[in-house]
Amino acid sequence: MATTPTSTARAASTSRSGSTSRWRGIAFVGVLAVALVVAPLVSSPYVNYQLSSIAVFAVAILGLNIVMGYTGQVSLGQSAFLGLGAYIAAYGILHGWPGPLTLLLCAVVPAVVGMLVALAAARLRGLALAMITLALPIVGVPLARRFDDFTGGSQGQVVSWLRAPESTGLANDQWRYYVVVLIAVVAFVLARNLVRGRIGRSFAIVKENEAVALSMGVSPYRTKVLAFTIASLLGGVSGFMYLAIVQYTSPETLVFATSINLVAAMVIGGSASIIGTALGAVYYVLVPVLAGQVNSSRTALISGAVLLAVLFLLPAGLVSLPRRLARLRSSTRRPHPSAPPTTSDEATHRASAPSATTDQHS
Amino acid sequence: MATTTRTDEPDAALSVREVSLRFGGITVLDGVSFDAPRGGILGLVGPNGAGKTSLFNCISGHYQPTAGSILVGGTETVRTPAWRMAKLGLARTFQHPALRLDASVLENVMLGAHSWMPGGPVAWSLRLPSTRRHEREARARALELLERTGLGWAAAIPADELSHGLHKGVELCRALLSRPRLLLLDEPAAGLSHGEVEQLIGTVREVRREFDLTVVVVEHHMGLISALTDRVVVLDHGAKLMEGTAAQAQSDPRVVEAYLGKEVGADESA
Repeated sequence: MATTPTSTARAASTSRSGSTSRWRGIAFVGVLAVALVVAPLVSSPYVNYQLSSIAVFAVAILGLNIVMGYTGQVSLGQSAFLGLGAYIAAYGILHGWPGPLTLLLCAVVPAVVGMLVALAAARLRGLALAMITLALPIVGVPLARRFDDFTGGSQGQVVSWLRAPESTGLANDQWRYYVVVLIAVVAFVLARNLVRGRIGRSFAIVKENEAVALSMGVSPYRTKVLAFTIASLLGGVSGFMYLAIVQYTSPETLVFATSINLVAAMVIGGSASIIGTALGAVYYVLVPVLAGQVNSSRTALISGAVLLAVLFLLPAGLVSLPRRLARLRSSTRRPHPSAPPTTSDEATHRASAPSATTDQHS
Repeated sequence: MATTTRTDEPDAALSVREVSLRFGGITVLDGVSFDAPRGGILGLVGPNGAGKTSLFNCISGHYQPTAGSILVGGTETVRTPAWRMAKLGLARTFQHPALRLDASVLENVMLGAHSWMPGGPVAWSLRLPSTRRHEREARARALELLERTGLGWAAAIPADELSHGLHKGVELCRALLSRPRLLLLDEPAAGLSHGEVEQLIGTVREVRREFDLTVVVVEHHMGLISALTDRVVVLDHGAKLMEGTAAQAQSDPRVVEAYLGKEVGADESA
């Protein structure tokens, strides 16, 4: 096979596009960092609260995406871990624990609970697993009402904490924004690293085909337990962040409806995508707010219509929008957008022919 | 072969002893025994439903035999979970290659490095220098294997843009990246063109020599079996019918009968 000219050309083109995309990535991260730092300084407390909420739910959705998007295991219980984290944070603050220790416990305790549930449940598949996770918020709400020494019962707990230190000169809403955004950024960086390498590939093959996973040395059971544990950990951390900005938690925090909305937001943002997770959080927080501004008595209806529209137009989520647009644009201009820049070599034909057909169909 | 034999390993890379497999009342395998000599290529043939793939699944740990014993490199593995078999140096391919179609070919192959790459979730989420080093090593080896099998050009392409025949090549690279000592190939030639089969034969021979592999191959393609294997084991109705060279198997009246049926076989030989 005369692969030499093809592969050199392709290698050259990949390295070229690789360096452009790297610069684009660095530029994107730079702009994002500046925007995240500047945003609270120029926004009203109300806007800061909404931006902080996006960070909170981004971490909850991130956990959900690890177990559902990347590993393919249905979880309908993420709100239970969010609620658990919020309650642990409230309990810790009211008992005068230091903030970092509280945050640590908000990560570790839900992770242990999640792992114990997963050790039992991960042997099940599909609907059976979904039912077990579904039970968590359903059992959690009455438990939260019952154990009022710990949870404050139905009234919940009001916690007034995390005031901006005098020396910073920041308002409370700005200070809390920085705290939750910092936690979210750390969580996102760690999760992004995790899903890229060895562990990420094991998640992906468990989702794709368990028989292949087994033959490649991946235990589907252990992988599912790990994914579920990480999801619970991130759920607990998001509960800490929730308490930081809302300053209140009640059994309402962990209701089942929240879990479903988190799943919907994850799918809308983009399953198995880190950027999609962030977009899903933006959707989760902003669409009800915007829909309420359009017509305050039709909020749910408008949110539902947006959900359907996104799923219909972008089945792979908001994160696929640029790809989709690029494909639409190139299919109207040129028929072979992804063909390697070479002569009519056998390899070139094989590579480009199927992509050309996909373009025509889409 | 005696010159390459190492003292710490037995002569048989794989030893199957009286293996039986029953699902409910159905006997799928009935006391099958054979050895795969180290460094050789053994063919496993037989008509549809003879139990070849079931036997493969027993060896790779996907099924647990009802009775019998299986030794891989001298280690008893009947009770070993399938996911631990990769560490024992066993790798396999499937009849229908299961790749992640949305991922690049390179990413698919790199899964093969899972069993020898160290590091847990904490190390990988912190991107410790050791994980980055192992990732680079796995990538380099994966690219090398792809180049060797004539797929270097495809590394960056999503797997769903490749043909079925090329998927088989990608799957072979994935299995080889796990550094196996024993490689099981389940119908590697199914759905391949004539040219692709020729290339496959060349590749398997080459990698067997280079990586000092023992290969066991299930195949219907008699051309491939004749060209590739040193010995064949013929299965019929879950039992071993005969063992010998590919030529002996093709001329054995019992094998002809198993493939074609008694009357037809009798007519043809008459």
